[in-house]
Amino acid sequence: MTIFANNRIWLLSSAIAATLAVPGVSLAATLNVMQSEAPRSMDPGDQTATYTAALLDPMYEGLIKRDPDLSLKPALATEWSSDPSGLVWTFKLRQGVKFQDGTPFDADAVVKNFNRHLDTKRGLAASGRLRTFLDSVTAVDAGTVQFKLKTKYPAFLALLTTGPCLMVSPTADAAGTIGSKAVGTGPYKLGEYKSGEYVLEVKNPDWWGGAAKGEDQIKWTWTAETSVMNMALQTADADVINPFPSAFAQQVKANPEMKLSTTDGSAVFWVSLNTKLKPLDDVRVRQALNYATDRAGIVKAFMQGFATPANSPLAPVTPGYDKSLAPYSYDIDKAKQLLKEAGYPDGFTMSTIVQEQEARIGELLQAMWAKAGIKLDVRKMESGVWSKAAFLDPAGKEKDGIGSAIASWSSGVNGADLQFRPLYYSKSASPAGANLGFFSDPKLDELVDKAASTLDETARNAIYADAQKEVNDQAPHVLLFTKQDLFATRANVAGVWVIPGGQVVVKDAKKQ
Amino acid sequence: MKAYIVKKMLALPLILVGVSLLVFVAIRALPGDPARLMAGPEATQEAVDNMTRRLGLDRSLPAQYASFAVGALTGDLGTSIKSKLPVVSEIRERLPFTIGLAITAYLIAIAVGVPAGMIAAIYRHGWPDQAVMILAIMGASIANFWLALMAMNTFSVQLGWLPLLGATSWKSFIMPSVTLAVLPTAVIARMTRSSMIEVMSQDYIRTAYAKGLAPGQIYWNHALRNALIPIITIVGLNFGSLIGGAVVTESVFNWPGLGRFLVDAVRYRDYPVIQGVTLVAVTGVVLMNFLAELLIAVVNPKIRLD
Amino acid sequence: MATARTDHTETEPRRRSATGQTLRWIAAHRSIALGGALISVIVLAALFAPLVAPADPYAQDLIATMEPPSWAHPFGTDDNGRDIFARVVYGARISLLEVLLSVGLAMVVGVPLGILAGMSGRYVDQAIMWAMDILFAFPGIVLSILIVSVLGTSLANLMIAIAIFSVPVYARLSRNLTLGLKSMDYVEAAVSLGISTRRIMTHYILRNAIAPIIVQSTLTAGTVILSAASLSFLGLGAQPPLPEWGAMMSDGRNYLGLNIWMSLFPGLAIMITVLGFNILGDGLRDLLDPRK
Repeated sequence: MTIFANNRIWLLSSAIAATLAVPGVSLAATLNVMQSEAPRSMDPGDQTATYTAALLDPMYEGLIKRDPDLSLKPALATEWSSDPSGLVWTFKLRQGVKFQDGTPFDADAVVKNFNRHLDTKRGLAASGRLRTFLDSVTAVDAGTVQFKLKTKYPAFLALLTTGPCLMVSPTADAAGTIGSKAVGTGPYKLGEYKSGEYVLEVKNPDWWGGAAKGEDQIKWTWTAETSVMNMALQTADADVINPFPSAFAQQVKANPEMKLSTTDGSAVFWVSLNTKLKPLDDVRVRQALNYATDRAGIVKAFMQGFATPANSPLAPVTPGYDKSLAPYSYDIDKAKQLLKEAGYPDGFTMSTIVQEQEARIGELLQAMWAKAGIKLDVRKMESGVWSKAAFLDPAGKEKDGIGSAIASWSSGVNGADLQFRPLYYSKSASPAGANLGFFSDPKLDELVDKAASTLDETARNAIYADAQKEVNDQAPHVLLFTKQDLFATRANVAGVWVIPGGQVVVKDAKKQ
Repeated sequence: MKAYIVKKMLALPLILVGVSLLVFVAIRALPGDPARLMAGPEATQEAVDNMTRRLGLDRSLPAQYASFAVGALTGDLGTSIKSKLPVVSEIRERLPFTIGLAITAYLIAIAVGVPAGMIAAIYRHGWPDQAVMILAIMGASIANFWLALMAMNTFSVQLGWLPLLGATSWKSFIMPSVTLAVLPTAVIARMTRSSMIEVMSQDYIRTAYAKGLAPGQIYWNHALRNALIPIITIVGLNFGSLIGGAVVTESVFNWPGLGRFLVDAVRYRDYPVIQGVTLVAVTGVVLMNFLAELLIAVVNPKIRLD
Repeated sequence: MATARTDHTETEPRRRSATGQTLRWIAAHRSIALGGALISVIVLAALFAPLVAPADPYAQDLIATMEPPSWAHPFGTDDNGRDIFARVVYGARISLLEVLLSVGLAMVVGVPLGILAGMSGRYVDQAIMWAMDILFAFPGIVLSILIVSVLGTSLANLMIAIAIFSVPVYARLSRNLTLGLKSMDYVEAAVSLGISTRRIMTHYILRNAIAPIIVQSTLTAGTVILSAASLSFLGLGAQPPLPEWGAMMSDGRNYLGLNIWMSLFPGLAIMITVLGFNILGDGLRDLLDPRK
């Protein structure tokens, strides 16, 4: 066992070094950011996690960036245009930009960055979204690239700001080190990655945008314990906490040493109903469950009020959201009546699968639905087991008697298609996608397809309004609430903001 | 003695093979697919398949085990699915913290538990005995995570005496190691007490009294020496199990040790990491037990190991 | 030590009444009495839960969540507005069931294995002990996640996971006891009389080994509840909405710094139970000690 042998001296000295060395680090001004989970990769194209995206944001850039007002602005591309068909897009690249390892940023680098996602053999985690609509990327000259799309895709530009479209050094990617050693073009570069402790980011002196506006260093740590997150803010071990646990929000609001930020988020929480399993195949039963759900109660008890009861499958921040919808009130009598019409005057028994962090939603629904005579069997599962069970096919779910699944979905501000298509489109029925209840509605499929290829925003939103209504009527989900994005900072921190969905942006943040 | 050591050394590889096979089969029996977890909920089936191929999980199980076993023999435990770093270097980074914490905790436990147990034995049925025993059992009856969180809230948040998280200075060791020491302190105190009581009723202790030796001398030189055997055994057994990391304590204190690493790895079904850490942990347990047996032979040469 | 106590009882007037005898017995076995009393409190709470706590342990009240202790709710309410006192009282049923199941299962598997190892020759012995060593050395988290995941998260499976941890403890203990008993004259005599091995195992070995095994089981009973709490911490605990103490504590930890009652009261209940079992176990050990 090489791990034990001949390492005794090393063991001792490194333990001593570890305990002595770190205080020196804090000499430079450091912004300490604590999140709820560890980064899943140093390669933005090989992860789809919000908090990993937040951590990688200071080091990487895309062709386009999102500003604090959520508008799209030039980043590594200076200008762009599309042909009349909307299928061919041409981008002019910023000149003189270099990756942090010295590799020049040019058309060749952009092509390589997208080709790695189009190459099925790579199997990168974030490739999926691009592959559905992107046909090819070619270099016109050293400073110009052209994108060919398979279909018109309204969210194309918005997607260019997300993980798979952030530019990684082709040299580092070819060497296979990008997953553990970040190399981008951003204002910060990787200082140190200790996968058990922290990620340290330091200013990139060669950044094309001049000097980075934020602190000298950004240090990221993580814990899954909500009370520990709160304590870390109290002791100023962390300057920024994201996401901030809603249970402690009132406490922070009342404390002048800290600031709480609450903004509309994009994560919609729902119960996906198995439409292939009796009695949930009956739309009246699904509607009855919707009427039996006290959304305001869940928002208060589970989110301490920091959420909006859901009236649509879309989040309020998603383009096309229709706030005038009011499909289901909390009405037990109505629920009972619908159940009676469907032939279940005495209610029925169903199950739901849920992960640890949402188990309480299951408990709350259990008590609420019991009033309508529905006995909910809550099956709390460890996350890996849950994902296995949630993505079973209809036969598998019937065998295990899985009637529903509680989860959330966040498509950020990147377009309604990213909410409708994976969750409600018939071809996305699990295991192919996240349509966990095998909802299949030709009318909705048609609306979703039509909206996706409609470039005119007003016309598109009108179609999405119909689609939202259709989902509400057919009730494949019991839509619960849209979570607000909560993050907290010490009072002396300025310049932190959040992209709806929870991705905090700290690269411009300063401590006063 | 020599024959015994050789025999034990020969048994070690056998145990490791058994364990590696067991852990290999076991984690693949876990529901949950690393490719699905890595690719994320948005991933299409195609993306998951691609990920499966990339991670080498489409190969047959014997082929996967063979490459794991061959790698392990050459000191290569593969690459973490999650961090993309070599598992060996990941373990190296964390092992000192885990062992450092375990040693500190056990030093505290021995330093407190042994004298407490002796006092209880000497004043058997008196109030010191009862006080020690009640305290010991109470210490052993508080859930670790709760004690840890309460300590953090008191000593870091309210009083500001100790650092809250991580392993940044020697002060960082205090709360995690004391939290971790509570249970072994209780066990050691009770063990010391009962084995002291047993030893003190032996003939040779009575002889020592009869010879007029000072009680202090009797306790330290004669009684404790023989009472040590069960204590060493219990310390050896439990200390070994800490090599796998104090899962709960490490998680609460953000301690960069193997326990937290293992929990995360299980969550993401990071097969190479689970395999690697388990192998190290089991080796640790076996070695510590072995060491405890040797130590017992040193303390009491009359005991024959075979 | 022992003599001092006898002298003391001798000086008391000799009353032959039942109460007097009971009192004397209690005085002589304070540990058993105290431990027994603590466990009795828990058992009574479990048996008469609806009388002790009239509130419904499952009834939610989303208007009155996380309230501090009051007359209406002696232990306060939890994050779903349920009465913590009722949940702690009803939780006694679950905890006692946990102890019975886990300890029972571990004994049923571990003890025969240990006796078999002790009675059989070196190869069977070595094989069994080798397997036990591996089981003991296996990191608990991997093992429990494995068991709970494969069998599904439920209280029963959680108990199986905890039982499997402690199988090696019972196996080792009963093996060592068997080795000791095997060399006793009466066992050797039985062997030479040609009594079947099975009969020797049950009638000669098990009967004489049972006392220390029972002592061991009372001593480990408390750890069962604590292990359940740790597994709840890792997200592998009892299913909602069961009022399992470990799960309640684990839920409550998410509010520490805001509300202590949610985790404090189930924690105290665990402490009383562990304390009770341990003191009882210590007392039993003294009582059953053959050397006394």
